[in-house]
Amino acid sequence: MSTHLIAFFTLREALRRRVVLAAALLTLGYLVLYGVGVWFGYRDLQNTPGGPPGLTEGVVSLMLVGGLWSLNFIASVLAVFLSVGALSGELDQGTLHAIAARPVRRSEIVLGKFVGFTLMLAVFIGVSASLMILIVAVITGEVVGASWSGPFLMLLASMLLIGLALAGSSRLSPLPNGVIVFTLYSTALIGGVIEQIGDVLESAVMFNIGVFSSVLIPTRAIWDMASAQLATGGFAGELSAGPFGASNPPSGWMLLIAGLHLALALGFAVRSFSRRDF
Amino acid sequence: MSDPIAIGLAGVSKRYASTLAVDDVTLSVAHGEIFGFLGPNGAGKSTIVKMILGLTYPTAGQIEVLGQPAGSLAARAEVGYLPETFRFHDWLTASELLHFHARLARVDASLRADRVRELLELVGLKDRADDRLSTFSKGMMQRVGLAQSLVGAPRLVILDEPTSALDPIGRRDVRDRIRELGEQGVTVFLNSHLLSEVEQVCDRVAIIDHGAIVAEGKLDELLSAQEIEIRAGEGAEAAVREAVGESSVRSIDGRLRVRVADDGEIAMLVRRIVEAEVPLYDVRHVGDSLEDLFVRVAERGDV
Repeated sequence: MSTHLIAFFTLREALRRRVVLAAALLTLGYLVLYGVGVWFGYRDLQNTPGGPPGLTEGVVSLMLVGGLWSLNFIASVLAVFLSVGALSGELDQGTLHAIAARPVRRSEIVLGKFVGFTLMLAVFIGVSASLMILIVAVITGEVVGASWSGPFLMLLASMLLIGLALAGSSRLSPLPNGVIVFTLYSTALIGGVIEQIGDVLESAVMFNIGVFSSVLIPTRAIWDMASAQLATGGFAGELSAGPFGASNPPSGWMLLIAGLHLALALGFAVRSFSRRDF
Repeated sequence: MSDPIAIGLAGVSKRYASTLAVDDVTLSVAHGEIFGFLGPNGAGKSTIVKMILGLTYPTAGQIEVLGQPAGSLAARAEVGYLPETFRFHDWLTASELLHFHARLARVDASLRADRVRELLELVGLKDRADDRLSTFSKGMMQRVGLAQSLVGAPRLVILDEPTSALDPIGRRDVRDRIRELGEQGVTVFLNSHLLSEVEQVCDRVAIIDHGAIVAEGKLDELLSAQEIEIRAGEGAEAAVREAVGESSVRSIDGRLRVRVADDGEIAMLVRRIVEAEVPLYDVRHVGDSLEDLFVRVAERGDV
C-alpha cells in the first residue's frame, strides 16, 4: 500500500515548490484587506441610528459570508491549479515513469495525489477560514459562522474539483483539462445565478436549468449549503441571498449527489489512468 | 528460483492506432545475463522496455518477468529501472530521491539510510547528497538515476540508454557497474545506441528494426562471420557479386566489402577475380564489429 507515500510526496512537493507559500502570502494579504474593510464597515454600521433589531448581526454575518465566499473561490482555483496536470503533466515530463515502475498500483498514484491535494486544501481552508472568523469576532465582538460544517462543505467543493481535474488529467494534457474544469466550474456558478433569477421570476425552466447545472457539477450548490450554515441572525437568510448564496439552500440530497459525483470522478480517474500507456 | 528465464516475451505486439510499433516479438533473457538491446531510433526499443515494466500494455502476446506476469507488483518489486529521459522531481535532493524510491521499493526501514549512502558513493555523488536535483547537470542526473534503479537491490535492472549524457569516464564507470551487477548474478537489460558499450559488456544481444527482432544471439556468434575488403580493377564487383550473392557485397569508395563465411570463400573469390582477368591489388581482412552488423541490419533488414 503506497497511497500514503504518494500523498505525502504530493504534499511535500507543493510545500517545497512554494505553491502553498505563495497562496498563503496572498491570502494573508487578502485577510488584512478584509479586516480593514470589516473594521470600517462595522464602524459605519454602528454610526447608523435605528434599523430593525438584529440588523447588526445580520450585516456582520453577511460580511463574513462574503469573505468566506472569496476564500472558497481562492480554494477552488488552488484545487484546480494543483491537480490539473497532476497525471498527464507528469507523464509528459517523464517524472512519473520511475515511480510507476515501482511496486505501486496506478490507483495508488491517483488516490495518493487526491489525498495529498485534499490535505493541502484542508489546511488552507481550515486556517484561512478560522482566521477570518476570528478577525470578524475580534473587530465586531459578534461570534458568527463558528460552525464546523461550513468549512467542511467548502472543502468538499474543492474535493469535487480535484476529483474532476484528476479524471481529466488521466487522459488530457493540463491546458485543455484546465479549460474544461474551469468551464464546468463557471457553468455551476452561472447556473446558480440563473436558478436564483428563476426562483424570483417563478420561471420553472430557469430554475430547472440551475438545478441541472448543480447536478452536473455541484460545487456551487455545496457552497450554497455552506453559506446557509455560516449565515446566522435574523436577516442572514435574506441578506445572504444574491451573489454569495441561495435564498433556499439545497437539501441534504445535494450531499449525496456530491458524494456520487466524487466517487464517479475518482473511479473514472483510476480506471482511465490504469489503462493508459506511458 | 527454478525458472531460468528472467524476461520472456512470447508473440508480443503493440499497435498504436494505425501503426504497428512492435510486431510479434519473441525474446528471452536468462537469469544473470547482461543483455544488449539495439536498434535504430523508432524501432520499438523503448516500447518493449515499457511493456516489460508494465508501463505500456501489449495488444497481443505474453510477457513474463522473473516468473511473474509483467507489470504485476511481485515482478516490479524486484526490478530496477532507469528511464530513458532520466527526469526526476527536481525539487528533491539526491538523498531524498533515493529514500523515496527505497520506500516505494519496500526496502526495510533499517537498511534504507545505509543503502542510500552506499549508492550515492557508488555513483560518485556522495558530496552532493543534500543538493537539490535542480542544480544537477545532465550527467549527474543520469548517475543519480542509476543509483535510483539499484536502490531496491533488484534482481533485474533495466537501463534505457544509461550513458547518453555521460562523458567517457562516466561511461566507463557505468560499464564497470554493469559488469559488477553481472558478477553479483543480477540480470541486466541494457537498451543502448552506443554499440561499443554493448559490445564491451553484453553477453548476448538482440537487434530490433521496424518493431521486429532481426538478429539475436551471443555476440561472438553474431560477429563470427568475417568481412574482407577487396581493392581490384573494373569488373571485380560483378564477379564478386555473382560469386557470393548480392546481399553480401557492399561498395565503399570503390572498394568492395564482402562478408565471407570462411577462408575457403576468400580463396574462391580471389580465384574468380583472377579468372575474370581483373587486376587484384589488395585483399584485407577487416573483421566485423557490432557497428557493421548494426548498420547492415538497419540498412537491409537482415544479417
